[in-house]
Amino acid sequence: MFDCANVEIRELLPELVAGRVDASTRARLEAHVRSCPECASELEALRLVRDAFASAPLIDTHRIVAALPKPPAPVTIRPGQPASVNRWVGWRAAAALTMITIGGLSVAVSRRFGEGGAESTQIDSTVVIALPESAGTTAIDTPARSGGESTATSGQHPAPRSVTKAELSFNGGVGDLDDASIQALLGALDEIDRAPVAPSAEPDRSSVLPVIKGDDR
Amino acid sequence: MAKDHEPNEDFSDLELIARWRAGDERAATSLVARHAPALARFAMSLGQRSDVEEVVQDTFVRAFGSIESFRADSSLRTWLFTIERRLILDRRRGDRRRRDDAAIDDGDAATQFDALDGLVAEEAEARVRMAVDRLSRLQREVFLLRVNEGLSYKEIAEVVGSTEGAARVHYHNAMRAVKESLYV
Repeated sequence: MFDCANVEIRELLPELVAGRVDASTRARLEAHVRSCPECASELEALRLVRDAFASAPLIDTHRIVAALPKPPAPVTIRPGQPASVNRWVGWRAAAALTMITIGGLSVAVSRRFGEGGAESTQIDSTVVIALPESAGTTAIDTPARSGGESTATSGQHPAPRSVTKAELSFNGGVGDLDDASIQALLGALDEIDRAPVAPSAEPDRSSVLPVIKGDDR
Repeated sequence: MAKDHEPNEDFSDLELIARWRAGDERAATSLVARHAPALARFAMSLGQRSDVEEVVQDTFVRAFGSIESFRADSSLRTWLFTIERRLILDRRRGDRRRRDDAAIDDGDAATQFDALDGLVAEEAEARVRMAVDRLSRLQREVFLLRVNEGLSYKEIAEVVGSTEGAARVHYHNAMRAVKESLYV
């Protein structure tokens, strides 16, 4: 017994028997089988097999269906409320809670580091202004330094006979000062403006110097 | 019976599954009616002579119970065949343990089919049946899935847990044996 050499045709014969080929393939196969005794005998054997094993006991479909698990329950939505609302309410609540938490943490962190940062970068706002004898010395001090520690450095100028102090307390920038403090500061500056020029030939570099705490750098 | 599920007849398997999951129980009726005969044939080709309907029912119950695991990479029928084959093999292992007997090997199925010989009218069909009965279990599964159900070698390999190449070899060996029984 020989087999047909056309492997493609032979491979399609069982699909022809099972009815799984389209019309054009079926026509091509049937034309080949008419001229090929090997394929004709093979097709006959396949049809015998199909007929011998095609019979199956009758199956009670309804009994099987009754034994099947129930389909999953469809999603129920409250009347008048679209499904998307249910979904978004939860998300919005979660987002709000997250924002509140992040905000609270940010405040706490900024306060902590803000205090530390102020310590590390705080400029002692003591301004020592050396005035000529007639004008005296004006010192603007911050509460961080006691008034006694605020030393006026007059450079080459003789010690003033009288000292006028305008003590201002502020932390941070000039923007933090209240109106009274600003007025006091402006008054002190006016007093400086009114003072005569110092007789020194060399400008006194220490006349206006912010004193920076050494341990803060 | 058929009229109960006529409206779903035009839907594909995937569409019917979707409808069943959405609560349409008639979709399940259509799926069972569509695939039960093939499952019964396949069960018989595996040597299952009794409780065929029970095997088919268990197959559907298991399939519908885990329908979410069906990925549609293969056809639903191939997936059902796979489940049914596993069920039958499990049953046989259970029977074997209970009886403390020899496994239902390749010869057992032939003996069971012998009992049907009297019911087969034509001699040629009886010879074919005998020839198929003499095949190894795997050859028989592959051969009947190919001839009766028209499954591709890839689908057959999925059902029997083999490779396409092995399925092809099993088919051609079976075909040669059947032709020899008829023509030699």
